[in-house]
Order: sequence, then structure tokens, then C-alpha cells
Amino acid sequence: MQMAEALLDIRGLSIDYEVGAGVFHAISDLSLQITPGRVLGIVGETGSGKSTLAHAIPRLLQEPPARVRSGRILFRGVDVLELPRWKLPLLRGTGIGMIFQEPINSLNPAYRIFDQVAEAVAVRKLRDSGQTPTLFQAVEPHDYSRGKPVKTGPALLHAAIPHLPGIGTGARREALRTEVLDYLKLVRINDPETILDLYPHELSGGMRQRVMIAIALSEKPALLIADEPTSALDITIQAQVLTLMKELLEEVRTSILFISHDLGVIAEMADDVGVLYAGHLVEFGPVEDVYTNPRHPYTKLLLRSVPNRYKTDGPLPALTGSVPSLAKIPPGCPFHPRCPLAREICSQDPGPVLERAKGASASTHLSACYFSEEVATIG
Amino acid sequence: MGRNASDLVVFIGKRLVQLVPVVLGVVVITFFFTHVAVQNPCAIWAGPHATQDQIDACLVRFGLNRPLTDQFWSYMTNLAAGDWGSNPSTQISVLATISAAFPATLELVLASLVIMTVIGIPLGVVAANGAGRWTDHLVRTFYLSGWATPTYLGAVVLAIGVGPVLGLPTKGDFTSTPTFPRPTHMSVVDALLALNFPAVGDAILHLILPASALAFLNLGIATRMTRTSMLEILPLDFVKTARMKGLSEFLVLYKHALRNALISTITIMGITAGVLLSGTVVIENIFQWPGMGAYAYDAITGYNFQGTIGVVIMFAIVVVLSNLISDILYGLLDPRVEWR
Amino acid sequence: MTETAPQTRNSSSRAEATLVSKAEASVLRDFLRGLLRVLRANPLTFVGFILVLILSVLALLVVLVPVVTQLLLGHTILLTPFDPNELTTDYGQPPSTSHFFGTDNLGGDIFSRILTALPLDLAIGFGITGFALLVGGGLGLVAGFWDRPGTIGGVVSLVILRVTDVFLAFPSLVLALAIAASLGRGTGPAMLAVLVTWWPYYVRLTRGEVLAVKHQPYVMAARAAGVSEVRILFRHVLRNLLEPLLVYYTLDIGTVLVTFSTISFVGIGVPLSVPEWGSMVELYRRFLQTQPWTVLSAGGAIFVTVLAFSLFGDGLRDILDPRSRRALVQAAIPSTLMAKAAAAAEA
Repeated sequence: MQMAEALLDIRGLSIDYEVGAGVFHAISDLSLQITPGRVLGIVGETGSGKSTLAHAIPRLLQEPPARVRSGRILFRGVDVLELPRWKLPLLRGTGIGMIFQEPINSLNPAYRIFDQVAEAVAVRKLRDSGQTPTLFQAVEPHDYSRGKPVKTGPALLHAAIPHLPGIGTGARREALRTEVLDYLKLVRINDPETILDLYPHELSGGMRQRVMIAIALSEKPALLIADEPTSALDITIQAQVLTLMKELLEEVRTSILFISHDLGVIAEMADDVGVLYAGHLVEFGPVEDVYTNPRHPYTKLLLRSVPNRYKTDGPLPALTGSVPSLAKIPPGCPFHPRCPLAREICSQDPGPVLERAKGASASTHLSACYFSEEVATIG
Repeated sequence: MGRNASDLVVFIGKRLVQLVPVVLGVVVITFFFTHVAVQNPCAIWAGPHATQDQIDACLVRFGLNRPLTDQFWSYMTNLAAGDWGSNPSTQISVLATISAAFPATLELVLASLVIMTVIGIPLGVVAANGAGRWTDHLVRTFYLSGWATPTYLGAVVLAIGVGPVLGLPTKGDFTSTPTFPRPTHMSVVDALLALNFPAVGDAILHLILPASALAFLNLGIATRMTRTSMLEILPLDFVKTARMKGLSEFLVLYKHALRNALISTITIMGITAGVLLSGTVVIENIFQWPGMGAYAYDAITGYNFQGTIGVVIMFAIVVVLSNLISDILYGLLDPRVEWR
Repeated sequence: MTETAPQTRNSSSRAEATLVSKAEASVLRDFLRGLLRVLRANPLTFVGFILVLILSVLALLVVLVPVVTQLLLGHTILLTPFDPNELTTDYGQPPSTSHFFGTDNLGGDIFSRILTALPLDLAIGFGITGFALLVGGGLGLVAGFWDRPGTIGGVVSLVILRVTDVFLAFPSLVLALAIAASLGRGTGPAMLAVLVTWWPYYVRLTRGEVLAVKHQPYVMAARAAGVSEVRILFRHVLRNLLEPLLVYYTLDIGTVLVTFSTISFVGIGVPLSVPEWGSMVELYRRFLQTQPWTVLSAGGAIFVTVLAFSLFGDGLRDILDPRSRRALVQAAIPSTLMAKAAAAAEA
């Protein structure tokens, strides 16, 4: 189906949270692929399961209360869910990287910027040189070959000594320093020497997020997961960081999985988009196609509810009803109680598992609605 | 940013100044308890068969028949001048005894702190990592058992029960009185300075049981605080970032999470110096360790009021100083704190 | 909530009063309900709780049975199998069916002596800690409420705080021992010594709570709405205080008990004729190797009692401390909506 081998191939993933209050079906029967070199955006409202998906891929979810009911997550052919726990660190860093939403929390408040970036660079260098095992030989992002784990060399213990100024392995620090500065310059921080000795709380939000990106990219991951990276930033800073990320896409060629609730941000950043509703993937396709010609009622209504600056007539066209609790997802198609196209079958049958949307132009434009061709008629 | 060397000096200086009224208060309260509240020390010293004349003579000799204000004044001036009285029966100067005994207690407490840190903190990490599961319950039962054991019981069982079984010494700090000079009065240090390595080994062996007793009984302080702190820190995003760098779980827990959790733990451990000092009173008595705790035990039970005053004041000063050290350490460890 | 604005001050304060009492009743109800759920979910805490109950009931029985039987039957029947002061002829016997914990070198039945000591030690634990809580708590409330500088309250607060700081500088056991020695040997002086040593901790606790509430925005909002300041502080502070106080009280019972028994162990507390666990350990200390059941029974009794209170209190602390409770839930769930829902359900 795909031309290149999918970098990330998720098949039939279902994840539940079991807590005292009940069982929350965070993700239900989700399947998608990420092609190398492209940016996949996942858009959905709060509680749609986006964060769960982002955390599930590198297995950051805490097993109780989370439970993977079914499915496989294949990263370059390796099933992440089958990996023994001790092998997980090998997958992360140089295989999959991740950046988070709140930059103040994402950086360790007790260590200086230099140490935090240098640590990431050190991990990558040790794996490149074969001194530590890795599942994927990190040379260039697209030259990954699925080599066997290298025999264990000396452990990464020097990174365990916090690098206080003047203490620690001086020679290694110097060797890392050039690369640290390079990556900080890559994320467009001017005069990076000035921030090396600072602590995270001494930087602005935008700067911290750039440092986060630098840390993630310095390990040259094949896949970078961005979990709402700009949602906590001021609108102007958000624009700067997004511009930066787009420019980096050209330079670095890492594939990105970009999670956001903001339709506009996804429109800017993504090549393909997946729409999540109540843990179900309801539509998937190239972003221009999905946005101009949505083939699922939810997508259409969502797009329509975005306030148009120049609209002056009448109330905002918001969706009726509200998102269902993930503990009580309606039977059949999860959207049917709020859908203007709902028929009787919709309350019983969950809908096709992402079939080719009828009436869509791209062959990769998929929809989970039986009546995808009628979506254009929704006013 | 409020964290350079001169700021630090001001920070420490300010807190030292705040110590003064507390120490003064300590001195006053101690006077109250030993001069005002006590019935008639002379009657006790002179023994049950003493005559009234003997008691009166004793009162005069110790100035206990003067008005309270006079007594208070000479008490304060004596303390300040360094005359802390002497043991009524042996006539040895209290201050001299305390100066010799204090380092020994310091050695014991430091050794206990080391054990508490090395064992207690990782246990807290393990408990937090497995929160709510059996590892958590196991660790909790372990340190609560230590906490629930009264010091005297633990000391007795270790000294009389466990010690002989393991072949560890249970009396004093050396097997036989050392012949080399004791400049610091700390057994291990003195032996090292004298380059007497068999004695160093002997000293360490003698240190093991009492220090372990003190440590095990108070392990809960370190473990509990570490666990709580780690529970607050583990959900934070920077822990996830550390994981996503591809670091091993060990590095994530100890280098990243614990480094932040340690801030609270170390602060609490400094503040609980008082608990450790209280423990030394019984432990030093049972293990015959020549420290301030043993001296306190003897002074208090022997109605040596001068000695009691001296040792109580000394203990209070140590507690206040360790609170200060705690405060300073907190400022050093948390980069976000400004030194003001 | 009232639909219309209150017409007069009287009706508003009456409405307030009903709200207050309803709020207080529901606070208590929620608290108890939460407590029960927590106990079920947390096995260690539950074990501690059951043990505490058993011990308390036993202590009551030990005290009441002789009294009741005396009243009803005319002669005293002891709950304990033997009179604690009775010296049988079975010297130094290990535990057996007739002597559950064996006998000591003089022939006294250890089990009976330990049971007889139970009410005393438990009463000390509950009572002294309770007094310390009341005294210290009261002082802390004063120091927290009326601390505006320049007023009489301000001066009083300052004095309370300084004195508390000084008391807190003494290691607790050392202070208690010194006071007990000064006051003379005996149960009373020992109790007083422990009481005097313990109240400062409660001053700190309650004052901290008052200060924390004082600076909350809702206090300012209520004041702006015309509610009297004292009433606000009272209602909110007491509600916030309930949980940490309960935790500290429970944990302190164990520590107070240990301190008291240490004073007896050292020899300046309870007289030798009165059975008390601490003095029993001292008495039997030299028999540790020859007749270990003597020392170990007495020590074990303290250990089990303090462990019970510690398990209960430690578990309570885990549950009632909102930070660790939230942390336990949020640790697991990255999604905001679900985490909030789950946390709200757990609370």
C-alpha cells in the first residue's frame, strides 16, 4: 500500500485506563502509519486520547492503571509492545524522541542547560561508536538499518556524575561542548554560550522549548513525537517555535508525529492529519484534502466551528452536545448522538475501519463514516 | 541572580544572628527547670541520712540559698565565662567533660547518618517506584518497625542478643584503652592520625553496632521523606524527558528524579538531628560509648545538675546549628532559591 | 444557595449559620466515608487500625472488669490470669499454657504484668498527646489568628512563637528526662515532663495551618462579602486542621509512649511496683540471654502497640495528604480530562 516502509505502523491499538471510578476506553481500535520524512498531525479535543496515543508509542504509559487491550505498535518493524522493559531505553532517544507541552516542567530544574543538552549528545555518541547497545544504529536519520544490538561496552556512567562547574570529566565536557553549541544554534538561539551555565528557571518559555527541541534533535531520532509543544506558549512565541520547527523539517528530515488540539497549528505543520474523537480515529488523509473536503461529519462540524474572524451574522456554529465520557462511549459509531447524518445503523455498527472515503480525491484519504459522501451536504 | 558568593555570606550571617535569641532562650529555660522547678537538690545529693546541717552547708556551698535573681545572674555570668560548674561528686569540670565527649557523639551520629543515607534513601526510591504495590508495603513495614522499636529495646537486643552472636564488640569505642594520643576524641580519626591501622579497624568494629542501632531505628525519617518527594516528582515532565533521552531507568531515577527529591530529604534529615541526639542518650549508655549521650544519662539520673545544665544546653546548640546547616544546604541544593 | 439576596443582616447570618452547620456535618460525613474507603484499600493501614481497636478494647476491659465485678459480684475478678503482683513458685519458666509469656525470676506471670501495664501506657499515649494537642493547638491558633504587629495579640503571638522555638531546640527525650529528673521521680512528674516537651510541635502545626488559610483568595473574597473574619478562619481552618492533626496525633501516640517508657526505663519514671513496659524492660534486661521471654515480651508489647499506631497513622498520612494522593493518581494518566475525572473520583 505505502511506497516506503512505514516508519511507524500502529494496528488495532486499544488502550484502557482502569481506575477506581471505572474503565476509561482511551483508545479504541486505532490504526495508522507514518511514512518516513512526513509530518503526521493528530488533532482532537481534550480527552480524545491524543496524549495517550503519544505516550503509548514509546511506552511511557504506566501499566497499571493503563492497559493495552490489543494491537501492535511496529516501529521500523519492531513491536514496541513486545519489548522487554529493559530494552525500552534502547528504543528511545535515538529511535524515538519526544517533546512535551510545559517547558518549565520538561527540563530538570536542578541541572544547567549545558549538562542537559550534553547528556543527550553523549547518549547518541556512545551509541554511534558502539560503546553502548542500541536497537538502531544512529548514523543519519534515514540510514537506519535494523542491526543487531551491539555488544555492551562501558556503561554511560560518566553521565551519572552531575557536571558541576569545575568538577567532572573536563576533557569529555570540551568534546561535547561544540556539538551542544551547534544544536543550540540549530534551534536559532543566538549567542548560545550565554545560556550554557543557566538553569531552566532562568530562561523564558520560548527559549526553554527551543532547548527541548535541541535536546530531542541532538539524538537524531527517526521519529519525533511532539505532544502539544506550543500549547503552553504565548501566541507570538508559538508562531516563532512553529516557524522554527518547519525550517528544521527541511534541515533535519526527522519524521514528526505532531499532536495538537489547534486546527490551525496542524494545518501549518502537518502533511497528513488524523482526527481523533473519543479515542477513535475517524478520519485520516493529506491535510489539504481533509481540511478542504472533510469526509466525516465530526471533522466537518469541527472545522466549521472555528470562528471566522470576519463573520458577523448570527451565533457561532458550535457542535451540539458534548464529548462523551470515555467510560461511557456510545455504542456503534461514537459520534452518532451528535451527528446530523445519523441513521439507525450508526447506533449499532461502529462504522468501517477507515475505508477509502467516497468522493475524496487522494487515495490515502480515509474516513470512518458509512456516509462519507454526504458530508459535503452538512451546512 | 542572587546566588553569588557575597549573597551566600549574607545568607549565612543573617541566620547565625537569628540563632542568638534562641540560644538565650534555651539557657533561660534550662535555668528554670533546674533551679526553679527542682525541689531541693541538696537533699538529694547529701543522701537520705543527711542531717539538716549537712544540707544547709551544701546549700551555702552551691549558693542555692540566695534569691533566685542572684542565682540567675551568677548562672549566666558563669556560663558566659566558661565556668560550667563541676560534677559535685568528682569535681571534674563539666565543660571539660563535655568537650571530650562531644566529638565521640558526633562520630557516632555521623556514622549513623551515613548508614541512613546509604540504605534509607534508595529504599525510599524503591518504595516510590512501586507505590501502592508490595515493594511499597514491604519497605513501609521495614522502616515502621524500626520507628516502632524503642531505642532502649533495640539497643538492648543488639547489644546483648545480636552482638555476641555476630561477634561484634558492644562495649566502648576501643577494646582496650588506646595508648596513642586522642587529639580529636573521635575513635576512628584518632587512630588514623596515629597511623595505628589495627586500632582503626578496632574502632570501626566498635562503631558498627551502636551506629547501626541508631540508624535503623530512625531510618523511617529518610525513607519516608524520600518516598513522598519522589512521588511528587516522578509524574513531572522532566522525568519523561529523561526517559525519552534513552537513559536507563537507574539513571532516570537516581540522577534526575532523586536529585530533586533530595532537597526535601536532606532538609528533613538536618532537622531531625534532635531525634538522633535523643537516641544517643540511651544507645551510648548501653553500648558504653564515651559520648555526650552517656554523659547526659549519667548526669540526669545521678542528679548532677551542673552536668545536666551543661549537656542540655550543648544539645540544644547542636540542634539549632543543624537546623541552620539544613537551611543552608537547602539553599545550595535548590537552584531556584535566592540567597537572602 | 439562596435564590434572592438576603434582605436583612439577621437573615443572612441565619442562612450562613445553617450553611456552616450543614457544611460541618457534611465535612464530617465525607471525612468518615473517605476514611472507610481508604481503610479498605490500604491493607497496612487497616491492620494498624484493627490492632489499635483491639488494644484499646483490651485496655478498657483490664480496667473495667475488676470494677464491674466488684460492683456486681462483691469481689474482684481480674481479667488477667494472675494477679500482676503475685509471685508464684514457677520461677523463670518459659512460655507455656498456664503462663502464656512465661514467668520472671521471682515467679511473676509476665502475661498478666504486661496486660496490666496496657491501660497505663495506652492512657499515657492517648491522654498526654491529647493534652499536648489541646494546649499546643490552642496556642498555635492564637498565634496564628491574632498576630497583627502592634496589637496586644501581636505581642502575645510573638511571645508564644519565641518560646515555642526555644522549646523546639531541645531534643525531646533529653528535655523530658531533664524535666522528669528535676521534678522528682514518679509517674506524675514523668507525665508532666512529656507533656511539657510535646506541646510545641502542635503550636507549629496549627499556626502553619492558620497562616496557610489566611492567605487564600477565598478568605479575602469572603471578607469582601461581609463575612466576619474570625468566622471564616474558624470554619476553614478547623476543616483543614482536622486531617493533619489526626495524622500527627496518631503518630505521636506512639512516640509519646516510647518517650514515657524510656523515662521509666532510665529509672526516673514509674516506680518499680507499678507495671509499665519500659521499666519492665529495664528490670529484665540482664536476663536477655538466660530468660529472653521476659525482656522480649515487654519489649514486644511496646513494639506491637507503637507499630499499630504507626501503621495506622502513616497510612492515614499517605491518604489524607492531598499532595501524595493526587500524585499517586496523576502519575499514571497523561490525559488531562481522564486524570481529573479519576482524581475526583478517588478523592
